[in-house]
Amino acid sequence: MINASVSVIALHEKGRVAKETYEAVDFARELSKDRPGIVVLSGEEEAERVSRELAEKTGLDVVCLSGSMLGEYSAEAYRKTLLSFFRNKGDVCICIPHTSEGSDFAPQLSVGLKACCITSVEGIGEGVFFRSMFGGKFRAEIRPERNSLVLTVIPGASRQQVGVPDLPGAVKVIPLADMAVSTRTQGFREAEHADMALAKAEVIVSAGRGIGRPENLSLIEKLSSLFPKSAIGATRGVCDLGWLGYTHQIGSTGNTVAPKLYLACGISGAIQHVAGMKDSQLIVAINTDVHAAIFRTAHYCIVEDLSTFIPLLIDIHLKRGG
Amino acid sequence: MKILVCVKQVCDSADTISINDSAGWITYGRNTVFRMNRYDEYAVEEALRIRERLGDTIIDVLSIGPERVGKTIRRALEMGADHGIHVLFEEERYMDPAERASLIASVAGKRKYDLILMGIMAEDDMECQVGGLTAEMLGYECATGVIHQEISQGLAEVSLERELEGGRRQCLTMRLPAVLTVQSGINTPRYPALTHVLKARSAKLECIEAHELPVLPSPQRLVRMDLPEEGAKGEFLEGTQHEKARALLDILHEHSLL
Repeated sequence: MINASVSVIALHEKGRVAKETYEAVDFARELSKDRPGIVVLSGEEEAERVSRELAEKTGLDVVCLSGSMLGEYSAEAYRKTLLSFFRNKGDVCICIPHTSEGSDFAPQLSVGLKACCITSVEGIGEGVFFRSMFGGKFRAEIRPERNSLVLTVIPGASRQQVGVPDLPGAVKVIPLADMAVSTRTQGFREAEHADMALAKAEVIVSAGRGIGRPENLSLIEKLSSLFPKSAIGATRGVCDLGWLGYTHQIGSTGNTVAPKLYLACGISGAIQHVAGMKDSQLIVAINTDVHAAIFRTAHYCIVEDLSTFIPLLIDIHLKRGG
Repeated sequence: MKILVCVKQVCDSADTISINDSAGWITYGRNTVFRMNRYDEYAVEEALRIRERLGDTIIDVLSIGPERVGKTIRRALEMGADHGIHVLFEEERYMDPAERASLIASVAGKRKYDLILMGIMAEDDMECQVGGLTAEMLGYECATGVIHQEISQGLAEVSLERELEGGRRQCLTMRLPAVLTVQSGINTPRYPALTHVLKARSAKLECIEAHELPVLPSPQRLVRMDLPEEGAKGEFLEGTQHEKARALLDILHEHSLL
């Protein structure tokens, strides 16, 4: 559907390829008439290794732009490098995984390329791209009005999944001369909120802003206490309000969990939250809004006010003999 | 130091809006309540904290939109910002991020800010683009998802931490001027103090007509708003509250969870 030549920017950390990269590759294959290309930026050390892995796992040709300033991610180094690489390539369509890195440099890159930038793309239509708005309640169809595109792609945006190819793609490593970059990465700090209780729990009862008041957290606690190996989770919104500590946060910038049961209470179902819990074995959602996005992720959906529903649920359970 | 904080007015809840097919956008209901985008509240608070730490700092607040947006600008003044700029744009339609960024850039360009702050995204269109686009149009550097920052003495640099997946942080230094988009939780936004509330009430906002500013042609068009695809929709439990509760307990028993 796209006439421009399609490329995927592979994201990785010190040569460890982010899983979102392969999802973006599937998306690019669906979008492209020909085989899409892969471009990876890396320090000198891991250049060969990361390029080979990408070429073997996708069967696509990989161009690796390598230089000492690309050893650690910075928007400035990525933007400048990609801009000079793509600038004279005519119409291009650049697919970037929508991660904290991808969403950081994609808009910046689009300006230099005079391209249209569409972020968190979750599907391809007839000449349009689909993306969520208003917390996932609505879906917008966006039509590009430029010949070049920069897209950031949400995991799961492509329905096709390509297996391991028979033949690896070709690899070309291009060493780059040092470039003046003013932004300096000084290192990384590990998360303060990795919560072992959440990782071990078989059942997670999770609260969103929809619980209404912090006092209603006691309902969540009571519900959670019905299950032997349970823990309490929360959306980022609830943690930002100070109702629960960030150790409880589930989602793209918090904990990623996959318990036997995930009970989502008053959670709207924004993609950032769903990213952290979608692999749970059984998902039950309670929400007053019948159109809440969480109902598209849940296996069982209950449209009720949790302030009356949870006490009733506990009551019936106890009367049945626990 | 000169700081610009960009704030967006959003509807408080998506429950009160509906799709407007003829306009290719949404219609706000009569009961729609508007307020400042939460992520931008953190940006306003962060600017105030910078002023408290460094002193000698002017904080301008800018918002784009119709008349009603004035209230959101005033909210930032009530929190303690110095000066409000209202880019008046009357049409109720989708404004794409490039259009929004070019309006901001054309206002900000001549005013030579050291720092431009805004939230990591708007709660309504969730595009995470305006910061990066604005920076690039102005030739500034940009960092997104900032969860900690410290301006160096001499105002030449900012040390900052960006929040990554799983709560990891990237620590970096960046030269000023720069655009930072702020992650929620970087601070706790304050409630307006009475003295500021009284001052904000009489403060005059600087109004600029959007159509008098140079804007790049839009690189994209929103052609349609729709409900999301049904697809993998779960099973809705039906009946009275009692019946639903009993059905849920049965399901939990079936899965040996209770």
